[in-house]
Amino acid sequence: MSLGDRIEGLGAAVLRSGRSGIRLALIGAKSLRGVVERDYPKGEVARQMYIVGNKSVLFIAITMGFLGMVMVIQSGHQLNRVTGDLTQLGPQFLKLFIQEFAPTITALMLATRVGAGIAAEVGSMKVTEQIDALRLSGITPTSYLIAPRLVACLVMGIILTIIAIVVAFTAGGISAWSVFGLNPTAFFDSSMVRTYDVVIGLIKALSYSLAIPIISGFCGLEARGGSEGVGTATTSAVIGSSFAVLLLDFLISGIGLTVFGGGV
Amino acid sequence: MSNSSTVSSNALIEFRDIHKAFGAKRILQGLSMEVGHKEVFFIIGTSGVGKSVTIKHLIGLLRVDEGEIHFDGRRIDSLSENDFYPVRKRIGMVFQHATLFDSMTLRQNVALPLRKHQGMGTKEALKRADELLERVNMHAFSHSGPATLSDGMKKRAAIARTLAMEPQVVLFDEPTTGLDPVNARRIDRLIRELSDDLGVTSIVVSHDLTSIFSIADRITFIYQGKAYKSGTRQEFEHSDDPIVRQFISGNSHGPMETPGF
Repeated sequence: MSLGDRIEGLGAAVLRSGRSGIRLALIGAKSLRGVVERDYPKGEVARQMYIVGNKSVLFIAITMGFLGMVMVIQSGHQLNRVTGDLTQLGPQFLKLFIQEFAPTITALMLATRVGAGIAAEVGSMKVTEQIDALRLSGITPTSYLIAPRLVACLVMGIILTIIAIVVAFTAGGISAWSVFGLNPTAFFDSSMVRTYDVVIGLIKALSYSLAIPIISGFCGLEARGGSEGVGTATTSAVIGSSFAVLLLDFLISGIGLTVFGGGV
Repeated sequence: MSNSSTVSSNALIEFRDIHKAFGAKRILQGLSMEVGHKEVFFIIGTSGVGKSVTIKHLIGLLRVDEGEIHFDGRRIDSLSENDFYPVRKRIGMVFQHATLFDSMTLRQNVALPLRKHQGMGTKEALKRADELLERVNMHAFSHSGPATLSDGMKKRAAIARTLAMEPQVVLFDEPTTGLDPVNARRIDRLIRELSDDLGVTSIVVSHDLTSIFSIADRITFIYQGKAYKSGTRQEFEHSDDPIVRQFISGNSHGPMETPGF
């Protein structure tokens, strides 16, 4: 392959990515408009909230419970070695979970479970021409399919993040008490949590909950061919949503630290 | 290449020199044809020749690379997505796989375009949906979900949904593919009745020779991205063009070039 061909190939890839980025932005904008116009079936948001929330809660609770225990035990051992003072273990753990771990890890789990589900469902509808049939029925697919999932993800994303914090903090407190004999009163202390931590955690949870259904819906709407196309869309949705979560985490944390100095 | 047609000055639909490619694959390469009012018009050709692609341009599901499409005297190929909505009220489509929405009953499926396009209330739309399902002999299943029905039943329900808009033109994408002969002939009869009783223009994409030679008013045979021959079914039956004859006889040997074989 000549240098010219390589440059041409690179240019084509950049153009394709640019076009995909524009289509993703348009789908995002149309989905948000769909949320405002509420042009979706009655009860659809509730159904999606059940799918996103009820079916994810156990998965998230178990994962966050174990994560909380492991983090407390690991951090406790380190602190014991360095200072021997575990009084800051609980407050710092809570602060870190509210600002960082709970929204981000919850979102990563939603990206795999909910994102894959959205892409598979929308992708199947795309390859079987149901999306075209919707358009012929006078319905905008983004409003009808993605908007209710977006509302459901926004609501359940916040609720699941709160559940994740409660479960991880409780599991961490029990571990600290049973492994290090730490008094629960010392562990369950929220004095280190500031408004800044809560606001950053909330902004992250909301941003992730917006990104996951939009990216997954976009991947589903871009599906081509048959079952292979649906599989590709599903994989792309999980990778794209997970990447978006990590990128948003970096950006929001970075902006928070730069603009507000970490809330100090 | 021979091209005869009885429709010209008062054509309802005109395709003028349509070109369409998907990447490097050129599907339509200068296709021109006309469809008259209240006709049952068949588009035939080998698999992958661009028959379904052609009709999807009429409702804005695909956009032409070059050429013009006129509907009822108005150019429609350059309309925006929003401007296509009024056209989609007048041109309905029955897809190859019926495409009923799994989460809804048949009457809800049929009522959907009535509520969205016509702005009907739910009760009124469902009542009208029941009438339409009766029109296609599916009223006994109006409360059933699509998953419980046979392919023929789904096709008939999909036709009822398309008729909900009272369209001037209905596009059928391989309506009898995958159906048993009895259900296939029922669908044929329904298409013929739509034209005869309701004055609907039907454009049917099909390989089904029994359908073609029993209900078509006119036929266009697409070959190598162009309308190779247009004419009445009698003209096709008596055609001595070797390529047309090969297609009609289904002979694997002959002058027709088929990609992949």
